[in-house]
Amino acid sequence: MPRLTLKGLGKAYGPLKVVNDVDLTLEEGEFVSLLGPSGCGKTTTLRMIAGFIEPTEGSISMNGEVLSAPGAVLPPERRRMSMIFQSYAIWPNMTVAENVGFGLKLQKLPSAEVKSRIGRILEVVKMSHLADRYPSELSGGQQQRVALARAIVVQPSVLLLDEPLSNLDANLREEMRFEIRRLHDEFRITTVYVTHDQSEAMATADRIAVMNAGRIEQVDAPHLIYTRPRTRFVAAFIGRTNLLEGRLANGEIGLDGFALRAAQLGGAPPDSARPILLSVRPQSMALHRTQPAARDGYPLLPATVAQRTYLGESWDYVVHPRESGLQLRVTAPPLQVHEVGETVWLEFDPQQIAVVN
Amino acid sequence: MQGISRRGLLASAAIIGSGGAAMRAAAQDLPAHERALYEAAKREGQVTWYSGQQSAETSEAVGRAFGERYPGVHVNVVRSTSQVAFQRLSQDIRAGVAQCDVFSSVDYSHSTFLKRQGRLMAYTPQNAAGLLEFARKAGDPDGQFHVFYIGVHLLSRHTGQVPAAEAPKSWQDLLDPKWRGKMAVGHPGFSGAIGAWAVLMRKMYGWEYFTKLEKNRPQIGRSSIDPVTALNAGERSIGVAVPSATALLSISRGNPQELIYPTDGTVVVPSPSCIQKNAPHPNAAKLFMEFATGPEYFRVTRKYFSESLRGDVPPPEGAKPLESIKIIMPTPQEIETGVTEVKEQWRDTFGI
Amino acid sequence: MTDSAAILPKPAALEARRPGLLRRLRYLEPSNLLWVLLVATLLFLVAVPIGKLLVVSFEEQGTGAFTLSNYATAYGRVRYLEALGNSLMLGALSSFFSVIFAVPMAWAVSRTDMPGKGFTWAMVMGAFIMPPYLGAVGWILLAGPNSGFLNQAWTWLTGIESPLVNVYSFAGLALVIALHSFPLIFIFVKSALDLISSEMEDAANILGAGTWTAMRKVTLPLVWPAVLGGIIVVFLETVALFGTPAIIGIPARINVVTTQLWQFFEYPVRVEVAAAYAMPLLLITIGMIAVQKLLLARKGFVSQTGKGGERRPIRLGGWRWAVLGYCVFVGALSVLMPLVVLLQASFAKAWGRGLSLANLTLDNYAYLLFRHEMALTSIWNTLWFSAASATAAVIIAVLVAYIVARRLVPFGSALGFLAMAPFVIPGIVMAIGFYAAYAAPPVALYGTALIIILAFTARFLPIAFANSSAAVRAVHPEMEEASRILGGGRLLTIRRITAPLISRSLIGGWLIVFIVASRELSAAVFLVGPRTRTMSVLLYDLSEAGNFEVLAAFGGLLLAITLILVAIGMKLAGRDFMLRRN
Repeated sequence: MPRLTLKGLGKAYGPLKVVNDVDLTLEEGEFVSLLGPSGCGKTTTLRMIAGFIEPTEGSISMNGEVLSAPGAVLPPERRRMSMIFQSYAIWPNMTVAENVGFGLKLQKLPSAEVKSRIGRILEVVKMSHLADRYPSELSGGQQQRVALARAIVVQPSVLLLDEPLSNLDANLREEMRFEIRRLHDEFRITTVYVTHDQSEAMATADRIAVMNAGRIEQVDAPHLIYTRPRTRFVAAFIGRTNLLEGRLANGEIGLDGFALRAAQLGGAPPDSARPILLSVRPQSMALHRTQPAARDGYPLLPATVAQRTYLGESWDYVVHPRESGLQLRVTAPPLQVHEVGETVWLEFDPQQIAVVN
Repeated sequence: MQGISRRGLLASAAIIGSGGAAMRAAAQDLPAHERALYEAAKREGQVTWYSGQQSAETSEAVGRAFGERYPGVHVNVVRSTSQVAFQRLSQDIRAGVAQCDVFSSVDYSHSTFLKRQGRLMAYTPQNAAGLLEFARKAGDPDGQFHVFYIGVHLLSRHTGQVPAAEAPKSWQDLLDPKWRGKMAVGHPGFSGAIGAWAVLMRKMYGWEYFTKLEKNRPQIGRSSIDPVTALNAGERSIGVAVPSATALLSISRGNPQELIYPTDGTVVVPSPSCIQKNAPHPNAAKLFMEFATGPEYFRVTRKYFSESLRGDVPPPEGAKPLESIKIIMPTPQEIETGVTEVKEQWRDTFGI
Repeated sequence: MTDSAAILPKPAALEARRPGLLRRLRYLEPSNLLWVLLVATLLFLVAVPIGKLLVVSFEEQGTGAFTLSNYATAYGRVRYLEALGNSLMLGALSSFFSVIFAVPMAWAVSRTDMPGKGFTWAMVMGAFIMPPYLGAVGWILLAGPNSGFLNQAWTWLTGIESPLVNVYSFAGLALVIALHSFPLIFIFVKSALDLISSEMEDAANILGAGTWTAMRKVTLPLVWPAVLGGIIVVFLETVALFGTPAIIGIPARINVVTTQLWQFFEYPVRVEVAAAYAMPLLLITIGMIAVQKLLLARKGFVSQTGKGGERRPIRLGGWRWAVLGYCVFVGALSVLMPLVVLLQASFAKAWGRGLSLANLTLDNYAYLLFRHEMALTSIWNTLWFSAASATAAVIIAVLVAYIVARRLVPFGSALGFLAMAPFVIPGIVMAIGFYAAYAAPPVALYGTALIIILAFTARFLPIAFANSSAAVRAVHPEMEEASRILGGGRLLTIRRITAPLISRSLIGGWLIVFIVASRELSAAVFLVGPRTRTMSVLLYDLSEAGNFEVLAAFGGLLLAITLILVAIGMKLAGRDFMLRRN
């Protein structure tokens, strides 16, 4: 099985470690997204995979063959990969067909085959009618499709994408997001996709590797990254959440002003007495105007509405539980209107609360 | 224009041949000694002539005439002022590169210096036997340099701006404040002739002559020819130490000038030419020496009003016979020590 | 990829014995060898001549022993020091005049609704391409104190005998130089003005400042760095200029550094003293750059880089005609008037006799073309030297620019520095450095075409480099990475992707180098041999005797050649290729 393996990979510029001890393995045909804020080292990692940057530590190998190690970097042109760039990097001096055929010609394929493969891939990306256009005559989305076609047509061992949608407007971005996933489902090319946009990563990737400050914080399927964040960073970075510090003792997690039973929480229940961090998503709580009937294991607290913001699809309330110093963000449907200063009942759903550490 | 006159000063000889002789002498018509050299020179193909003597136009005409007489041998005419020509040669020597075959300047000391340094080739052209005696004697007895040009330098006036009656008559007259802002002169740092003239003026009148001249603010060009063009343009009205040949050529073309032969002496500067020992085209260089001492050269330069130094070629039209006027001539020794001195003095006095 | 040095190719025998090395060769980029070659070339072209100049200035002539006497000689005479002072004053005055000419024109073209912008452009362009020594000849014809057309007209109009303007004066010299240097400031200032958003002026207007106040208090201060940069370039150009001071300065009795340097080359050639005397030029240059850094470090000029905001022309109303008048005035002084008198002189028997049928002749041209064999040779020399230099400079420049922009080697910026260094080395100093380093054996290049081509290449490398650098930077690195990841090697990528993308800019750069090389005098005058004289040197030789008719005709030929090239350039590289600032 072709496997792309990053082992202890690191890149330092002087004392500054941009990428630090990154371990990651991609199975054949897998789609992994590197997700993280800008400056987290995800693009550097991608460019090390491509061979544009030499690592200072660790190695990158493909099927056991080392591609990159400190002092020994196989040039990008010998890696049989392909890449889609943030700027698309469509060559303005070539037509669409010439752009797409460039890699095939470098492989010295017979011209008839080059021609038929260009034709086929342009059909796949729905660009056949524009084969003889120059890039300056194309829209942003069309250029993006050319970039996709150019990268896929060579049947690379690995496809690398560097923030490919960041220059598109919102609607087009959504469309292209599905397009990328569709092409992946069709060709099953091993793919590394760098983005800072979590919804992009969620929509496309089989697994997401969340990066922060040069390290991989967590690698998991998208829904697990969201529901079972394993670090404070992942919990805070993916979606919005309330991070609550508590203390575990005797199967109960003591929080400021109330407690939760550990056994009820999602994920593996912690076993020993220690400080603990909980991620409480805004939608894992409900607000009630009057005190509802208590349900077993669903803690219920009286609270005051401190702030509110209407977001269109929902209300975003900040509530302040009585006898507690906490400030919690809670999401409510648009029709559920509370005034600032109003007293409400706050109900927790323990199933949706994740223990972070 | 005055008719052709003879000069007693320059030992007379019968005029042989005519000025209208065929310009294009076919190779087989050449005298035996020239033909032998020509054959050798043809293999070299060219000859490079650094010259500060004749005007650019005359020098080019000489080069062309040479090429016509000896087809297949091309003259690279590098015309500049004498001091710049010598500067170029010095740069060649300093760089250890041989580029120059024949070097001609108005500054006698250039050739004597090169001779002392052992940089010259001794060659006495057979045609030199036909030069006037004084020219023959002005050359090097060892045959390392020869004189086939004399500079004749004098005054000229703009006929429209200075009536003959008011014109200066002598070098001394130039110190009169009425010529303030009217004169033009060359520069001894560039022109060899102006160097010789300055040496003579200093000898006759002391350096005060120039400190006084400076007060009249002459316009300083580089070449001694520059004042001629300044007068043509009407920029200045008195040309100082201008070469008679260029002035006469200019007058013949209708420019409003007239020569003035100074009562205290017209400056005559015998100007040597030499072949470099390391000349890249030695045979062509010798052939050029033969040509330049022979009648053909003077027939050509005569048309540009240069003095003829051969008895078989008449002097140019319009020039006063030199025997009829007072001549002053520097000695080689005076030039050798004097020119370097006056260059420095000039720069101190005139600031340039 | 910084592993180049360790894995350069080794002899085959070695590989056979050490299979491990072969494996490592897989990681080699073959292009690395080229960079080594390039470093050597830059050292040869730039570092060695200048280093040699420095060394020679401490050497005794003949023996080569260490001495300080060259400096004692070079600064031991009041006259030599005066020349230095004159150069500094001349530089300052020319810069001043250039600012007066350029800044209002740049403002008018960039910010206002002045009519006739195309005309103004053409004038600036004309002033830029006319060789300064030709302009000097033109101004001698115009403003010679007695015969100049302007003074004659003045006397005819007013009856006053004393001249209106005298070109043979310090101010005259500075003015003539400024008339051909001001385009540099114009280009700098205009491109800076182009970047300033109208909102900057609007903000001043809304607070109560009128058009003029806004211009004085807001717009102009914002482009101060550009003005300062322009002033420094003009100052350095002026101090290093040889032709104009030689043609005007000698009759005006003004000795400057360059004419004094020339004197040190009189017999005996004192390269050592010349080298010592050239050192202040280098120090001044370094000093000026330092001053610029210091002045600009203090204030923020952020808005220059700001791209946002619309730019709309200021409506000048009736004033626009006055502003246009000023542009026409400068254009007339710098281009139209000198050009007219030069043309007149080139077709005249004696230019002082003015325009009349009797005075009309084609003989000046005929003389140059048919009876002056060096003239044709020099035209040919000029063409092919310039073409060779432009080609060499552009090739070196684009490779260096590429290395620097793509950070291919450690200390790449040092390469860029070397390529830019000749910008601050006066041409005449460069030529003396070349003479000192390469004239004599063992290199023995004196009098060859090669030494001139090399000197021109080195001298104009910065122009080519600035041009190439901008062109390369405009190509997004991802354009190349896209090719490499698809299997294209570095060199294939340069050939197939980068080169086609930058070719238009490079053609423009090539032509600019060609044009400035074709009129270069100060670098050529010390290096030419009898068969390698260029048009500029022959023109200088012709100017000794003051034969302005032939000079003008030769200048006419030079201008005709230049204009043809400019036309080609506009066709191939865009209308504004010469005045673009990268």
